[in-house]
Formats: sequence, structure tokens, C-alpha cells
Amino acid sequence: MRNSIKIGAVAITGALALAACGSSSGGGSGSSSAPAGKTVVIGTDLPLQGSSKDSSDATNQAIQLYLDQIGNKVGDYTIQLKQYDDSTAAAGKWDQGQCTKNATDHVANTNEIAVMGTYNSGCAKIIVPILNQDPTGPMLMVSQANTNPGLTKTWDPGEPQKYYPTGKRNYARVVTTDDNQGRAAAQFMAKDLMVKKCYILNDNETYGLGVATAFATEAPKDGITILGNEAWDAKQPNYTALFQKIKGMGADCVYLAGIFDNNGGQLIKDKVAVLGDNTAVKLMGPDGFTGYPELNKLPEGQGMYLSFPGLTNDDLRAQGGAAAKLLDAYKAKYGADPATSYALYGVAAVQVILQALQQSDGTRVGVNNAVFSGAGITIPADVSAIGKELKIDPATGDVNLLDMTIEVIKGNAETTLKGWPITG
Amino acid sequence: MATSTPDTLEKGSKGDVTSSHNRRWALGFLIAAIITYLFYAFVVPNLGAAGKTFVSTWIPAVATNEALVWVICAVGLNIVVGYAGLLDLGFVAFWAIGGYTAGWIMSTFIQAVNPGFYLASAAYPDQPGIHLNWWLVLIIAACLCAFAGVLIGAPTLRLKSDYLALVTLAFGEIIPQVFLNADKFTNGARGIAPLDNVSPLPFGPSAISIGDVKIPISQPLGPFDTSAKFLLFAIVAAFAIFVSLRIREGRLGRAWLAIREDELAASMMGVPLMRTKLAAYAVGAFMGGMGGVVYAIHTNSVFPDRFTFSISILLLAMIVLGGMGNVWGVMIGALGLAWFNSTGLPQFGFWFNGQFGTAINFPSYSFLILGAILVLMMLFRREGLFPETRTRQILREAERSDAEELDGGEA
Repeated sequence: MRNSIKIGAVAITGALALAACGSSSGGGSGSSSAPAGKTVVIGTDLPLQGSSKDSSDATNQAIQLYLDQIGNKVGDYTIQLKQYDDSTAAAGKWDQGQCTKNATDHVANTNEIAVMGTYNSGCAKIIVPILNQDPTGPMLMVSQANTNPGLTKTWDPGEPQKYYPTGKRNYARVVTTDDNQGRAAAQFMAKDLMVKKCYILNDNETYGLGVATAFATEAPKDGITILGNEAWDAKQPNYTALFQKIKGMGADCVYLAGIFDNNGGQLIKDKVAVLGDNTAVKLMGPDGFTGYPELNKLPEGQGMYLSFPGLTNDDLRAQGGAAAKLLDAYKAKYGADPATSYALYGVAAVQVILQALQQSDGTRVGVNNAVFSGAGITIPADVSAIGKELKIDPATGDVNLLDMTIEVIKGNAETTLKGWPITG
Repeated sequence: MATSTPDTLEKGSKGDVTSSHNRRWALGFLIAAIITYLFYAFVVPNLGAAGKTFVSTWIPAVATNEALVWVICAVGLNIVVGYAGLLDLGFVAFWAIGGYTAGWIMSTFIQAVNPGFYLASAAYPDQPGIHLNWWLVLIIAACLCAFAGVLIGAPTLRLKSDYLALVTLAFGEIIPQVFLNADKFTNGARGIAPLDNVSPLPFGPSAISIGDVKIPISQPLGPFDTSAKFLLFAIVAAFAIFVSLRIREGRLGRAWLAIREDELAASMMGVPLMRTKLAAYAVGAFMGGMGGVVYAIHTNSVFPDRFTFSISILLLAMIVLGGMGNVWGVMIGALGLAWFNSTGLPQFGFWFNGQFGTAINFPSYSFLILGAILVLMMLFRREGLFPETRTRQILREAERSDAEELDGGEA
């Protein structure tokens, strides 16, 4: 019977090892109580555990702060926020089962008129079809962070129709999609950096692949030859061989489509070691490489170009207006800026829902129709949480803002180089 | 002859006694499943607002359905770990294979098949892709997994304990990576979603009405037909439980137990080690495959993100907690931990924070709590909450000398 003890011991060590990855405190506060009246609930659906936890907490806090500022009231409606968690400790990130459960919970909670979320596009692909088939709906969902193009536009086969079984749209977002980011990067590299031959490395995740594909599609139109589009394996100790190969092909630029967390530091070090510094062979990455102090301080990272879909917290503050005020209030309350630039986009998503609520009869169908019929939803610049006029296209649910910021790492900091209006 | 060895420990519990014992349990499962179904289909809709809120907060129907998936997989893993004593740290691989099989032959994923191939399927008509009836998918996925089980079992036959665990661990890590990276065949990280709707049966009336409640028969189940899905999942779980109970009584099951107790002795008594171990992997994987399909139907999607090492560990914890080797213990362990993971702890956190005005993020401590429970269990109740009789006998006995061992065998 030694076996059973051994198995038990393995289970214990496994559980404890996993526990070490997960524990931290804070967050998870319930919804604020509201006085009687026409009370409606807005659900937020975010991963509150695992690596996205800080970002999700900041988003929930920013939204609650905004609702407090407007007195939790819009027109005759009293607004309540209800937080849903689409992650589990077992998965350590968003979890299919939890997304399914949340989706039916959103529908079952009769006071809930719309959902703000999700953070992960995969989770949206599960929730949107279920909300779409809500017998009292379709129920609206507005995401602050889903950048996968297939949710709203023709992308992979069957997309986006397969997410809308009833044929009616019920999903909108306030961020632009990965394809725009890849496109902007290609245009910027061709026109400003005058590169000719690029090699794309992707991290083989939904996001990285989307950006890589978009870059590869756009670059030839601007006169860049794509030498290759290959995945880098985040678990490898070094990438010298990979860059030797790229060197042999004579590339004058490398585009890293992915996130810094996937061993991006080593990747950049090896790029510089083999191909030389970033003035010789240009290096660029998408927003998956923004917001990392350790990258900004990396000697090999200096001169790397970055793009960000939308505006960073710093840009938003510099821009002034409602966004800056909200950021200042957040900093006053929590002692620091939100951990993610998506936090204010979360507020913007809630603004879209609230605006739809005002333009509707207060039912789920009404709220959804307000977004997807007529002129759709417009949030004027003076109140918008991202400081610019925000319009949702009633045909697709995509946002009009194609803000793209090009940054460069200089003097151990990300500095804004210029805005990049997307064309073509 | 050979298989009679382990039976000496169970003197007094004659064959017919155990099987009537099994029948009683089978009846118990049936009654529990029907009561649960009636509760969600008939009682909950008629509860007041407070009652409905209570149910949807603490025991939501969707979480119950998901718990059944865990039960199916845990019962499968129990065959490998609990019966045959082969430590398997990569069971999530079978879950993944089952899920992806459903993704391939039960959705629009294979666009090359256009117009689509339909076989008794409740899917939307006129789409590309392969759309088989889900019962068929269940069988195909389970068989595919059984085959994969033999494949992974074959190289491990010469290995014991720790080394065996390492190989299975590797398998559990490799398979999800393959699914993530084989972009053309699996859609990579973008996953496969949505899947086809399923219907309980491919023929018959579309639904039977009992009072206000319609029980769907051949009509496609939408996302809100949770209680109908519960019935389907319960049938699959019942099948898994039935199979593992029956096999345990038979020649193969007793051979597994013999290997678990003492591999060397078992082989000396004529138990064919290779065949018996491979059978354990195959049967366990078969159920893992069924679990994978059911989970894919439950979430209406397949994503590689889900299939992580921690899932294997949670499954193992369910078995250890419930009582290794005892199907019913494992089932209760699975139901309990699945609930704890998806609903129990987060809701307790909300309640606790609301009650005491704190802001503790309970779910982030779940593995800590789980680990503590397991440590305590190993100290005070090593055999699990609902142990097998023979496990209890062995674990509760004082350290035995060889003479006592002989004596125990004879008495």
C-alpha cells in the first residue's frame, strides 16, 4: 500500500506547488447596495484569478469608481455592478467551464441588462452565442479588451456568423482589433523606417498569431518582403540558432508578434547578440510588449519600436478631459494608476451600455437594439472615458477609434513617438 | 487460480453479496440522478425569487453538469490509479483528445467537407464540416482515447512508480502542446467554437410535455436546456460507474488489484502484467475520452488553454480525497471538489466578505486549502473519506511481520 501513500504525497505536493503560484489577497468586493427604484445590473465578466488578476481588479475598480462618480444613476435607473469571475484556481486563468456557467448566469439574472467583458477572446466565443440565444434577448455584451478580429468581422471560416446563431448581433467592443495593429506596424516600418525585408516571429497564441497574420498581409502592399513567419517557443533557453538563420536571409527588420511574458527578454537579447543593435536591424513589437519596466530597462531593448491599440494611461492623462479626471480620481483612491490601460476602456464599455440603456425601454432586447439599429451609440468626447468621441458601428459592433500609438524605448522608458492613423 | 489471491482478503464478502451491494448502489445513483433532475426541471422554476437565487448562487444547474464531467474523468482515472495502482499524472491528455475529437467531427471545423456530412445530427443544416450524432462521437472519441491509452501505456510497462509517473506527466504535457501548436488541425489557440447542438435521441417526437415542462427528445438542445443535458451527462456517468464496478468484480479487476497490492507476487501467480496494465490504461482512457466529449458539449467549445497540469492534479486529488479504488468515494470526491472549485469557494468568499466586510480573495487560496485538506487526510485518514473495504483493512492494520501476513491470509 506504499503506492497509495505515494500517490497521496504527489497530489499534496502538486496542490501545494500550484498554491504557491496563485495566492494573493485583495479584490473581489461585492456590488454596492443601491436604493429602491428601477434597479438594473451590469455584469462584468473578467478573470479574477491567475496572471490577469491585477488587470481585472483594476478594471472593476475603475468601473465602480466611475459609477460612484455618476451617483450610480443614469436617467431613472439605478445601476448596480455585479462581478463575475471567468477563471478558476484549477486552471489559473480563464476557464471554459466557468465561461459557460457565467453565460447562463447572466441570462438567469433577470435584473441584468448587459455584460461588460470579457478580457479573453476565447471566453467571448463561448459567452456571446449563449447570450445571443437568450429567450428574452439577445443580451448585449461590450468588451474592453477582445482584439480577436473573428468576433466581429470575416476572419476564419464561418466567422463571425457562427457566434450569432439567431442572426442578430449582440456583441460590441471599444478596442480596435489585432489586424489593425499589425497593419499599422507594417505601414510605420515601411514608411518611416524604410525597411525592405522583415522576419516575423509569433508566440503561437491567438493574439500573437492575429497580429502576425495582419502584419504579413499588409507588409507586401507597402513594399516589404516577408522572409518568414514562424513561432518562437517560449520554453526554449535561447534563440541564437533562430536568429542565425534570420541573419543568413539578410533581414533588416524583425517583428515580434506576441507578448513579452513568453520569454520575450531572452528573445530580444539573442536578437541583439546575433543581428546587432536595434538601429542596424529594426525591432518592433505590438502592445504585448508594452507596460513592462524590465523590458524598458533592458539594454538590448533600447531602440525597439512598439505599437499600442488605443491610448496608454499616460497618453490619456496628457490628453486631459474626462479620462484624465478619472485617472486622477483612481490614483487618489488606490494610490497608483490602474495596472492596465484597458481599465479606462472598461469604463468606456460601461458608458456604451449606459448610453444604450438610456436610448432604450430598459429591457435586454431594447438595450441591444439601441446599439445595433439606427445610428448606434455615440459617446461624445467631453464625457468619454478615453477622451475621444466613441462610436459603435451598428452593423458590426466595432468601434470607430482606430487610435494607434507608436512608441520607442529610449533612455529606459517607453516614449511616445507619434500617433498613427490607420489607412487602407 | 491466479486471480483468487487477492480475494482472500475479502473473506466473508461472497461474490453475490458484493453484486447485490452494487445493485443497491446502482439504484441509489438512479434515484439521486432522478431526484436531481426533477429538482432542477420542476422544483426550481416554481421556487420563489429567494429560492431561485439561492439555487443559482450555491448549486447552479450548470455547475452540477460540469461536476458530472469531473465524475466521469475521475472514475476513469480511478481505474488506472485506484485499481491498478499505476500513478498517472497526465490524465488531462485524454480529456483533451476526447474534446478535440468532438471538435473535429461535431462542428463546422473541417471546412474541406463542403457540403457538410450529416449523420443523425441535430446540428443546423447546410453547413460545411462533419456533423455526427453525439452518441457516435462519444464512442469514437472513447475508442480513440483507449488506443492512445495503450500507446502511452506501452512504453511505461517496464517502468515502476516514480518513473511511470514521469512518463505519464510528460504525456500530459505533450498532448496539449501538440493541440496548441498543430494550428492546421486544431485551430491552435483560437480553439474550436461553437460545436453542434446535440439532441438526446436522433429520432422520435421532438419533445414530451409533462405539465409546463417539456422534456426534449429529438429536438436540438440549446444553451438553456441544462436539465436535459444533465440527464444525458448522468447517463454517461452512470455507464462509466457501472463499467468500473462490474470490471472490478471480474477477472480483470481482481488482476488489477493484485498488481496494485504486489506486482511481483501477482506476476508469480500468473497475472499477465503487460496485458493487465495496458487494459487499465485503455479502460481509464476510454472514460477520459467520454469525459472530454461531454465537456466539449457542456461548454460548446474546445480550447487548448484548458488542458493544464493542474487539471490532472485536481483529478488525482478527487480520487485521493474520495477514497482511492472506491468508485463511490471517487464520485463523491469529484462532485465535492468540482463544486468547491467552480462555485463553492468563490461563493463562500462573497458571503464571507459580505458578512465581515473583508476583501479576501478566497479562490486564490483554493490550492492552499486543498493541499491542507490533503495533508490532514494523509495524517488522520489516509484511505480517503469513503475508502474501499480492502484498502481500509490494509491501511488500518498495524505493521505486519511476514508471519502475521501469512496468518492473515489463512484465517
